[in-house]
Amino acid sequence: MRLGMVIDLKRCMGCYGCQMACKAEHGTPPGVFFARVIKREEGQYPTARQIILPVLCNHCSDAPCVEVCPTGASHYAEHGVVDIDPELCVGCRSCMMACPYSNRYFNVDQRNYFGDEGPTAYEQARSSQHRESVVMKCNFCKDRRAEGKEPACVANCAAKARIFGDLEDPTSIVSQLIKDRAGFVLHPESGANPNVYYLAP
Amino acid sequence: MKMEDATVLKQHKEGEIWEDKWIPSACTICYGGCSILVHKVNGTVVKIEGNPKSPVGSGRLCAKGISGIMFLYDPHRVNTPLRRTNPVKGMGVDPGWKPISWDEAMDEIVTRLDKLRKEDPRQLVLQVTTTLAPSSLVFFPFGWAYGTPNMWVAGGGVHCGNGAHAAGGVTHASWSIVPDFKHCNYAIYFGASKGHGAGHAATPNISLAADARERGMRMVVVDPMCNFAAAKANEWVPIRVGTDAALALAMCNLLVNELKMVDTEYLRDRTNAIYLTRPNGKYARDPATGKPLVWNTVSGAAVAHDTPGARHAALEGEYTIAGEPCQPGFARMKQQLKKYTPAYAEKISGVPAATVARLAREFGEAARIGSTIVIDGKTLPYRPASAIFFRGAQGHKNSMYNCFAIDLLNHIVGAADVVGGTLGFNPVCHGHPDTGKPYYTPKVDRDGLMATGAWMLPHVPYPPADPRKPDSIGLIEVFPLSHVSPLMASSDQEHWWKQFKLPYRPKFMLNYGANSVMSVGNKEAVIESLKSYDFIASFDLFLNEFSDFADIILPDASYLEVVDPRPNFPFIFNHPAGEGEWGWPIRQPVVEPAFERRSARDVMLQIAYRLGLGPEINMGVNAYYGLDGEQMLDPDKQYTIEDITDHELKHKFGEQRGLEWFKENGVITWPKKVEEVYWRTFLDVRIPIYHEYLIELGEQTGKICAEAGMSYDPAYYGPLAEWLPCHAHDEQDASFDLFAFYYRDAIQANGFTMENPWIDEMAKIDPFSYRIAINADTGRRKGLKDNDVIYVETATGRRVTGRVKLTEGIHPEGVGIAACAGHWSKHQPIAQGKGVFFNDLLEIDFAHTSPVNLNLDLCAKVKIGKQAAA
Repeated sequence: MRLGMVIDLKRCMGCYGCQMACKAEHGTPPGVFFARVIKREEGQYPTARQIILPVLCNHCSDAPCVEVCPTGASHYAEHGVVDIDPELCVGCRSCMMACPYSNRYFNVDQRNYFGDEGPTAYEQARSSQHRESVVMKCNFCKDRRAEGKEPACVANCAAKARIFGDLEDPTSIVSQLIKDRAGFVLHPESGANPNVYYLAP
Repeated sequence: MKMEDATVLKQHKEGEIWEDKWIPSACTICYGGCSILVHKVNGTVVKIEGNPKSPVGSGRLCAKGISGIMFLYDPHRVNTPLRRTNPVKGMGVDPGWKPISWDEAMDEIVTRLDKLRKEDPRQLVLQVTTTLAPSSLVFFPFGWAYGTPNMWVAGGGVHCGNGAHAAGGVTHASWSIVPDFKHCNYAIYFGASKGHGAGHAATPNISLAADARERGMRMVVVDPMCNFAAAKANEWVPIRVGTDAALALAMCNLLVNELKMVDTEYLRDRTNAIYLTRPNGKYARDPATGKPLVWNTVSGAAVAHDTPGARHAALEGEYTIAGEPCQPGFARMKQQLKKYTPAYAEKISGVPAATVARLAREFGEAARIGSTIVIDGKTLPYRPASAIFFRGAQGHKNSMYNCFAIDLLNHIVGAADVVGGTLGFNPVCHGHPDTGKPYYTPKVDRDGLMATGAWMLPHVPYPPADPRKPDSIGLIEVFPLSHVSPLMASSDQEHWWKQFKLPYRPKFMLNYGANSVMSVGNKEAVIESLKSYDFIASFDLFLNEFSDFADIILPDASYLEVVDPRPNFPFIFNHPAGEGEWGWPIRQPVVEPAFERRSARDVMLQIAYRLGLGPEINMGVNAYYGLDGEQMLDPDKQYTIEDITDHELKHKFGEQRGLEWFKENGVITWPKKVEEVYWRTFLDVRIPIYHEYLIELGEQTGKICAEAGMSYDPAYYGPLAEWLPCHAHDEQDASFDLFAFYYRDAIQANGFTMENPWIDEMAKIDPFSYRIAINADTGRRKGLKDNDVIYVETATGRRVTGRVKLTEGIHPEGVGIAACAGHWSKHQPIAQGKGVFFNDLLEIDFAHTSPVNLNLDLCAKVKIGKQAAA
């Protein structure tokens, strides 16, 4: 089994729900977005188009981040999910340099959303779990998967634009969609063999 | 940490999970009110998700809905009642807030209200915010009980819906309209965003729109800016601000006069297109009954519209009635539309004539006039084309006609409330199978035309009430098609009160969550108006710009701390339209109100009871909720909102399904019937495409206004929609060369979300949220580059500043600014200094207001330039 995701840009309505669902699920610190939405413009007036691109860790099969990690903190977990073991991470940030997608973050120290007011009850309950001085990123919601749930960004997507499944199984919905609708990956030239696919808008 | 938390912690071991619950409730970050499940662990809310059991979101949420945790735990919330110690009120002048007890606050409010009511109850103004519209219902019964006509949604209505909702009510028996996403193949949006994570049924519409897109529905978005709706459209049609009606009417002209794509059967059977009209524009009426006449082509005679055989009524031709040449309304419309040529539309709107012609043809062809479809064994008209409007198109002085013009596209091709066409949000509900409640359906009213079966406000848009001399400070009695009036806070209000001989002045304001200093128009006008009050008490989550003018602040409980019986009823407001399920969720506290916070609804009831208005408010609640039989409130008892919620739920769903049942289950659902969703086929009622009632209304309103020296162009009161210019279009000084407009940023929901740090992060990442969007070419010609600080200035000298974002995705004459930004209050440090306060560019006076529905004009002609360094 190789877990992967398909993001259907035709279905995506640009609501930022994935970015926020991820934020709330993980209590990530300010400025950290395991899932985020990029808006970009293409073309010229009056035929200009806005491209809305939700991104996250691509869980690459040939992940440059794993390759460069000096301690083995970045590793392939079960089903090809790329994860970071915070116990092993020394915070060298080589992986951040290596990632072709800029989807890794360095948790400098505990920061709160209301600054000097201190952590909220929610932040005490959730955000304090993140270790300081280590790199952090999406792990396809490891804890949710352990409970039999889909990743938060998938479960919440109101447009049902994110589909999660086994890319090795040719009968899975993700595999079928990639085949039927010519799914593509971002930065194929990186040679990282990412496992997040996109369907054209 | 709160005391009770500390106590609780003592009882539990560290690391022990002593509470792990998912509580069903309803979001209130915008008025969409999607159903939520709140995850609470050891007393702390750790996640908000959608409730999969409810059709209002089906387990998914927009970004704003998820972010509610950050409101709940915001350390800047107001936690105790506060009293000002500095008598001087002014912007940025520290009121010197001093915490006081609830008893002290209530004593003062009740004493003042008691005295005020004995003088003249109309001196009380109740002001609420749109965000809380479905939750604010107790405010209306309070107003009735107290005896004041002065209630308004500050910032709603004049911005978002005086035209859209009135038009929706007149022709679709609903608050808003939306494409029938499940079956529609071609949807054209005019300044609207349905399905992009904002507004009524925000989350359900995302799913429906995504399904429609995948299925292949073509979405065409007419909008000055390519963001949100236009960004996800198949085609973006850039348009000059405020000219939507010119484009829509040209499309109507082509459909009727050139392409002949007209659903004559629909117009004949379901509209007043057959009603004969006299040379003065009014109906030819039966002298005996007063009923409008139609021309029966078989008998060759004029007969009352409801005479059997109206199927043979003429849509065209000219007939002599009582010596006058009379024509069916359709014939008049056909003639009137001829002036709206594609070339004219291009001149006004900037949309190329060839595009106008193509859009008209595409729309007409997509409608498949004459086709039918079988749903649930019923053969129904199938018109998979839809034209919708919302805030962008309706937010102008010509608000009423803009909406009628766009909606006319639907009626010409028969795509109104049928499969695939434009649907009102749930105009018909036959009730839960066990109880038959809630039940409502449109009725046949004056002249055989439709009156909506459910409405958000006491008076329905059709038939309009007879205009009369004003009793309210907003003069709404003079303009019965309005529902919210900018004259509540306008710069010319005193002038008009004198002119209309209003015998009192507002003295006391009770505000519920509205920040009217920022939500109406320019701050000077609103501040002047607020300063004239003797006393202002305000329920708030946060101190804000409005608080500088309040005397007492009452700490409101947030939506996660209160109970509400009906977050999604009436279903015409924010319940998803189209096939599927009905869902009636409740809102319930997921945590007890912390500190001294209290639910404003409960406090309002307490105030009423202390004023001795128990019978009046209880009967008002009975009227508003439709409570009768065993669940009717006893006039002589006192109730809490929990009690009333229990009564309301039992009334609608039976004795066994009161508040306790709903607290456990969260929502009750049952299937929609085809007769409800596609009611058009099953109800014998007509809607107006020829708005004859406007003529009479205009005459009566004109007479009352003339006596008060108030004048306006009578062209606004014709029976057929026209394009009429905004003030901005008439600006003569060529140096004011751009049209500034604001748009609803789907990232935000009204001003208060700007204080949410999670939402703030999204807005910071978004290229437009906090910046002024200018067409790249226009910007370059003016020597601007990205992130330059620029000023935007109106001919009246109003000025805002902000950073510029040059973009290819905006009309060359447009200046696009996301709404509800630019806060300056230090009490909302996350919001402070972010984005641009667009409303400060807007005049608030009658001259900038629709003389039909009192909609404020929301565009301004401006010049821009680099702001000199301070």
